[in-house]
Amino acid sequence: MGILKLDNVGYRYKDAKKDDFVFKNINYEFEQGKMYAIKGKSGSGKTTLLSIITGLEKCTEGNVLYDGKDLEKMNLDKYRNTDIGIVFQSYNLLPRFTAIENIVLSMDVSKLKIKNKKDKALELMKSVGLDEKQSKRKILKLSGGEQQRIAIARSLAYNPKIIIADEPTGNLDKDTENEILKIFRNLAKEQNKCIIIVTHSQNICEKVDFVYDLAKYYR
Amino acid sequence: MYILKNSIISIVRNKGRNILIGIIILVIACSSTVTLAIRNTANRLVKNYEESHDIIAKISFNRKGLAQNFKGGADARKENIEAFNNIESITIDDIKNYGDSENLKGFYYMYSTSLNSDSLTKATDSFEYEVENRQTTTNSSSTTTGENNGTERFAGEGFRPERRTTINNNTTTVITKSKEIFQSSRNLTGDFTINGYSSYDAMTDFVNGTHKITEGEMITGFNVYECVISSELATLNQISVGDNIEFKNSNLSKKTYQFKVTGIYTDNSNTDDTQNMYSNSVNSIITGSGVIELLVQDDSTLVTNITPSFIIKTKDNVEKFTEEVKQKGLNEYYAINTNIEQLDTATKSIKNVETFATTFLIITLIISAIVVVVINMINIRERKYEIGVFRTIGISKFKLTIQFIIELFIVSIIMLSIGTVCGSFLAKPVGNELLKTEIENVKVEEQEISTNFGKGPMNMNFNTNVQVEQINSINAVVDFYVVLELIGIGVFLVLLSSIASMISIQRFSPLTILKERS
Repeated sequence: MGILKLDNVGYRYKDAKKDDFVFKNINYEFEQGKMYAIKGKSGSGKTTLLSIITGLEKCTEGNVLYDGKDLEKMNLDKYRNTDIGIVFQSYNLLPRFTAIENIVLSMDVSKLKIKNKKDKALELMKSVGLDEKQSKRKILKLSGGEQQRIAIARSLAYNPKIIIADEPTGNLDKDTENEILKIFRNLAKEQNKCIIIVTHSQNICEKVDFVYDLAKYYR
Repeated sequence: MYILKNSIISIVRNKGRNILIGIIILVIACSSTVTLAIRNTANRLVKNYEESHDIIAKISFNRKGLAQNFKGGADARKENIEAFNNIESITIDDIKNYGDSENLKGFYYMYSTSLNSDSLTKATDSFEYEVENRQTTTNSSSTTTGENNGTERFAGEGFRPERRTTINNNTTTVITKSKEIFQSSRNLTGDFTINGYSSYDAMTDFVNGTHKITEGEMITGFNVYECVISSELATLNQISVGDNIEFKNSNLSKKTYQFKVTGIYTDNSNTDDTQNMYSNSVNSIITGSGVIELLVQDDSTLVTNITPSFIIKTKDNVEKFTEEVKQKGLNEYYAINTNIEQLDTATKSIKNVETFATTFLIITLIISAIVVVVINMINIRERKYEIGVFRTIGISKFKLTIQFIIELFIVSIIMLSIGTVCGSFLAKPVGNELLKTEIENVKVEEQEISTNFGKGPMNMNFNTNVQVEQINSINAVVDFYVVLELIGIGVFLVLLSSIASMISIQRFSPLTILKERS
């Protein structure tokens, strides 16, 4: 049984006509320990689907089930700060916070009960290839690749079962992309995470376990 | 806990924004402190003043009412005089009846009559006159004064009549003898006015310091033949404390009364009257009202005056008391007058300052509330991205709202504290300066009125019948209540301006915000 299941999920904008769906009848299932890619052209609804999976948007048809529970019946704030880690293309880190503060904040929000959150945050940073020196820098003083690593570390802060990433390497060069992918693979294989990457990168699609093509469900 | 931590980080790392908000709150706090301190102190001063100055009601003759009923024509004169003479006077029993009221804190009265004396020389305004008169008294029969009957005496050839009138012009004085016609109450006929007080409260001249006992003490009771005399009369007649002085009835010259002198007082009243050698009260003998009652029992034809004073509980009771007294039978030609106008005049300047402070406070609060709300709205719009990120990592709308409120609250508390300290230093000089200006304005107003009367500036005295001292300094202080009100203002402004953040946070979709950012 998968950790996450999309059951006939469909979406149309509020002001759209009755049959004007962005996508519909999506039936995906995601399991822990595996890497998935959701691919599609621009405008195919990749980011919208990510928003539905993360609970930032509600599907207009069908259900999203997390661990067998309907997402609509769950506390979505708690879902986002405990069960699912999100990595955005534009990182979405707090610019006035330092790297380590961004990670510790996620731990605080999820009410993680560990003694030394800073040590744990440093450990996470090291696991994504960053050191202590970078931890004290403000976000805007870090490179794009470093920011993306921080975003990944932040998504791991509360040890969620699923990590969903929206074009995580879209702003990065090829080498950094490969490094990031390596991190995701390790998380899936070594920490039994379910990794879902929303992308249009062929490179990523080649390196994941399963690829779902939104084009099949597009309108 | 992390909400507080986030708030502090946000305050520390957004110095520019928070300094701007802080300066605005500082200005609000400072001006609010000054105005609140002035308002509260002024309010307290007025309240204390009103508490320490009783509302005194007196009964006066309503000439206007009488005049309205006068008839015209040549034959009407006699009729009018008759109507006037037939107005019944108020008795002491009436006064006691009126005084028994729930609208009053109490009442007192001065019961006066006049007596003559063979052994005492009346002080008049001319020393030479007194010397001659004394010689006359010594050498001839002392009945001269007793036969005076209120007419002016001449000390001899070349002397003018006594310039100071002996007619009691006090409009509150009414005759107590019901069978006496009102007209006769204008004059007390003896040489010496015997003022009998019903209580020590009634001795207002001693209470306010116009009169002061310099030797001996005040009378010990109100029914005993004791008295206090003026120092001038004592000197003139070589009377000391403990001496007995004898008076005689001006109607029944054989009837005498012995009074023991328990004290001698000086009259400290300031007067610009350079034509009188003695103070106005020189021939006033102070005793208890019970003594006058005994004198009246002895001789019911004795002419007496009564000056009642009713201490009214509050302003609200004035009308009720007036109604009550009318119901108890006060003649339509008498009116109840109070000193409310005089009391209001004394506090007018400070009340104006208080009104100004209140108005300024309201305007400040309205403007500052608008400014703070607008700044907070701009602030929230600037922080949309931050809100989006917080929401995506799972911070609830409620907690996010609390975080924004805490941020504003911390800035407000710090700035309110600094503003309160600054305001407390400014409150006193600003308050006193405002009051000074206000008093000047009132003086200018009075000067202008004086000019209207054809008098030079400051030559007119208004409301001189009731002595009320003006409040001329405010010394505004920041006390517990001011701080409490400031905290209230701070909380109000924080909550008001937080409404903007609350609405924004509820409305913002994190996805939309982050898409916009992307």
